[in-house]
Amino acid sequence: MTKENGGTFTRREFLKGVGVGGGALVLFGQFGIHSAAWALSGEATLKMVVVDYKKCTGCRTCETACSSRNKPAAVGGKELPGLGNPYFANIKVHNFNPDVDVPNVCAMCADTPCAKACPVEPDGKTGRRAFYRDDASHTMHNDASRCIGCGSCAKACASQRTGVIRPNPETGKPERMCTLCGGDPQCVKRCPFGALSYVEVRRDRKFYGLGPEKIAAELARNWYGTAEFGGVK
Amino acid sequence: MSGKPGYHGRILEIDLSSGKSRTVAIAPEDLDKFVGGQGLGMKLLWDRLKKPGIDALSPENPLMFIPGPFSGLPVPSSSRTCVVTKSPITAPLTSEHRHASTVTYSNMGGFFGPEIRFAGYDGLVVIGKARELSYIVIDDDKVSIRDARKFKGMRTDAFDRAFLEELGDRKYKTVYIGPAGENLIPYSSIIHTAGRAAGRGGSGCVMGSKNLKAIAVKGSGQPGVADHERFLTALEKARRALYGTTYAKSWAEQGTARAIVGNSNAGTESVRNYREGTFTEADKIGGDAARRDVWVRDFACYCCPLACKKSGVTKGKYGGVVHDGPEYETGVMLGSNLMISDMPGLLRAIYNIDDLGLDQISTGNVIGFLMEAYEKGMIDRKFLDGIDLKWGSVDATLAMIEKIAAKDGVGALAAQGVANLSRHIGQGSEKFAIHVKGLELAAHNIQGNQPRALSYVTASRGACHMSGNNIAMQNRRAMLDSTGMCFFPTFEPALEEPMLELLSAITGHEYHQAEFEKAGERIFNLEKMFNYREGFRRGDDKLPDRFFEDAFTIGAKKGAVLDRKKFEDMLTTYYRDRGWDTVTTKPGEAKLKELGLENI
Repeated sequence: MTKENGGTFTRREFLKGVGVGGGALVLFGQFGIHSAAWALSGEATLKMVVVDYKKCTGCRTCETACSSRNKPAAVGGKELPGLGNPYFANIKVHNFNPDVDVPNVCAMCADTPCAKACPVEPDGKTGRRAFYRDDASHTMHNDASRCIGCGSCAKACASQRTGVIRPNPETGKPERMCTLCGGDPQCVKRCPFGALSYVEVRRDRKFYGLGPEKIAAELARNWYGTAEFGGVK
Repeated sequence: MSGKPGYHGRILEIDLSSGKSRTVAIAPEDLDKFVGGQGLGMKLLWDRLKKPGIDALSPENPLMFIPGPFSGLPVPSSSRTCVVTKSPITAPLTSEHRHASTVTYSNMGGFFGPEIRFAGYDGLVVIGKARELSYIVIDDDKVSIRDARKFKGMRTDAFDRAFLEELGDRKYKTVYIGPAGENLIPYSSIIHTAGRAAGRGGSGCVMGSKNLKAIAVKGSGQPGVADHERFLTALEKARRALYGTTYAKSWAEQGTARAIVGNSNAGTESVRNYREGTFTEADKIGGDAARRDVWVRDFACYCCPLACKKSGVTKGKYGGVVHDGPEYETGVMLGSNLMISDMPGLLRAIYNIDDLGLDQISTGNVIGFLMEAYEKGMIDRKFLDGIDLKWGSVDATLAMIEKIAAKDGVGALAAQGVANLSRHIGQGSEKFAIHVKGLELAAHNIQGNQPRALSYVTASRGACHMSGNNIAMQNRRAMLDSTGMCFFPTFEPALEEPMLELLSAITGHEYHQAEFEKAGERIFNLEKMFNYREGFRRGDDKLPDRFFEDAFTIGAKKGAVLDRKKFEDMLTTYYRDRGWDTVTTKPGEAKLKELGLENI
C-alpha cells in the first residue's frame, strides 16, 4: 500500500487504502494520524514524510540518514554527508514498552502553531517572524539572526502537536524541523523496511498532529491490548 | 584522546566503592590488537586481574560493557554490546586457586553499545561494590551514582518502565538486573529493553554482587573515522548487500525460531534434556505457529535491516504480552528440552525468566535435568518442595523458575547450576548433567553433530554454542564479537567485502580477511591464557557421558552417538592445530609470539 521513493497517492487511492469506516487501526497503521485527517479534508496536495507504524521496526536507520544529510561534515575542505550521529537527526524514533516504535517528524501543520507562537515582529517585506514556514516547500525554518531563543515555538509544538521541535541546549534556538532534504528525504530512501514514504497528500487540511506517546498508547492498545506501557502515564 | 581513528580512545571507569568515576586512556596498540567488544574486554580483564583465583563476586572483578569500532556509526546491524567479566559459574575440575573460573562474555543486541559511544566512551568498566543497591546515570561526561533501594526486588519488565519514568528522559538507554541478579543466582542475565539480554555466563550475578541494579546512558557525540569518503562508499555497499534481500526478509519473517522445526527435523535439537535430537511436537512451538498465533510485529536493533526480534500477545491462562520469542534458544530450552509444546505456556516461561533476570538457556537446562532426575526416581516430590516436575508440565516449570530466582527451597540448589546440582544429587546423575566447565549447554544437541561438540568443549566461557565448530570459525567469531556487529547478517557472503572495507575505513588499520581472523585468533588465545592461568586443562574440555552413551532413539539421526576415541582424536588435532600443548592445552611460545602475545 505504501509507495516508496516519492510515489503519489491520489485522494481516491488513499480513501480506498485506509478503508474509510474500517477503523482507526488501519488508519494509524498505514498512514499516521496527522496525514489521515489531512488527506480526508479534500484540499490541495503537498508532499511530506508519512509513517507506516506497522512496518517500522525501530531500527533508527532513518535518524542516521537524516543526520548524515542535514549535518554534513567538512572533510579536507569538501562538504560530505556526515557520519549520521542520531543526536542531530530531525526525525526521532521513540521506543516504548511493550514494543512500539514511533518515528516522529515535523508534521508540517497547515495552521503552524509553532510559527504563530513566535513573538518576533514580522518582517516588513516578507511578513515572516523569526520562525516561519517556507511557502514553496512548506517546511518550517528559523531565522537565527532574528530569533531570540525564547523557545515559544518548541513549547507550542510540544503542547499542541508532535513535540518534534527542540530548542538548542545552548542558544535556545529551535532545531529538528524537517527539511525534506530538498525533495529527496533520506529517511525514506534509507529505511530498510519501507516504513516511511514521501507521498503527495492533501494540503491546507485540518490537522490533528499527535505526540509520540499518544500514538504509541493507541498502537499498544490495538496490538497488545495493554493500557499500561512505556513509562508513560 | 588517543587520536586513534574510529575510537574515543578512552573508557569510563566507575568505582562503586568510592562513588567516583574517571576516564582511562586505552593504549592505541590495544585497539589495534584487540579491537573492541569481546577482545578489548578480554585485554582489560587480563590487565586488571593480574593473578588467578580472584573471586568473580568480589569488588575487584570488573564488569565491562564494551561496544566495538562499528558501534555508534550507521553500519548495518552494528548494535552489539559485549559484557565481559570473570565468570561466577564456571570452575575447573581441580585448581590450586579457590575461586578459579573462566572469562565470560555475553553479547547483547539493542541500543546500549551505540549509546556508550555516543556518550564518548569505547567502554564502561564498573568496579567495586556499592554500599546500598544503586544505579549509574551517564549523560555524556556527567556521571552519577544514585540510590536504587526503592527498586529492590523489582522485576525487569516493570523496572524497564519505572526506571525511564524516574529518569524523566526516554532517550536514556538502560540495562538492569532482576531479582535473580540481586539474589546472586550464578546464571543471572542483564536485561535491556525488557526483551533483550546479555544472558549467558552470569554477568547479571556479577552486577548483583556490586549492588548495581541498573545503568542508564545517553550521549550526543560520535567517534570519527580514518577515511570519511571510503567509509561512505563502503556503507552504501554494505546496505546494498542486505537491504530488501531474500536473506534479510527470511530473518524478518521468523528470526531464529525457524530453526525450532528445522533442527528438530535434522536431529540436532536439545530435546528431553539432550536425550533426543528431535521433538515430535516442534511444529506447535515453531516459527510458523508463532507467526500465525502470537507475533504482532517485527523489531530490529540499531541500524539492523534484519528485524529478527518479535513481539506479540497470547491469550488464556498463560496469556499476556510477549516481548520476544520463541527464539531458537528460548523456544527449545524451555520447549523441546522440557517437552513443552503449549505455546502460551512456553511463552509465559520465557517471559518470566526474562522478567526475573535469569539466563534462559541455563534455566531451561537445569529444569530439564531435574525433570529427568525426578522421572528416574533419583529425587522425589518432597525434594522438589511438592512440585510435580513432569516432562511437559508448564505449571511445574513456572513454579521452579520462581523458586530458582528466589533461592527458595529446592530453588537454592537449582540456582547453583546443573554441575553443582548433580553433585548434590549424586547417584550417577552427573552423566546427564549437561554442562562444560560448569556452564550449561545450549539448544544445539550433539550426539549427531561432533563439530558442535567441539564448540562446546573448547569455548572460552564454558559450553558455548556460538564459539564456532572449528578453529577458523572460532577465530572469526571472536573477532566479529569484538567489532560491535551482530553475526546474523554475516552469513550473507555479499556483506563480507564491504564489512572489511568499513572496518578498515573506520580504524585506518587494513583488515583483509586474514588480518581479521588473525585478530580473532589473538583474542581467542588471550582468553585461553586467562583460563589456563586459572587452572583449566585438557581434562576440563569434557562432555558429560550422555553424549557417548545415549544414542538417539528417534528422528533423522536415530542411532547417533559420539565416539570417545574420535572425539578425543579431534581434540588432539584441534590443540595441535591451535599451537597448544596437546596434554595440558597450554598455548605454545611460538603461537604466542606469532600473535604478539609473548610479552603480555
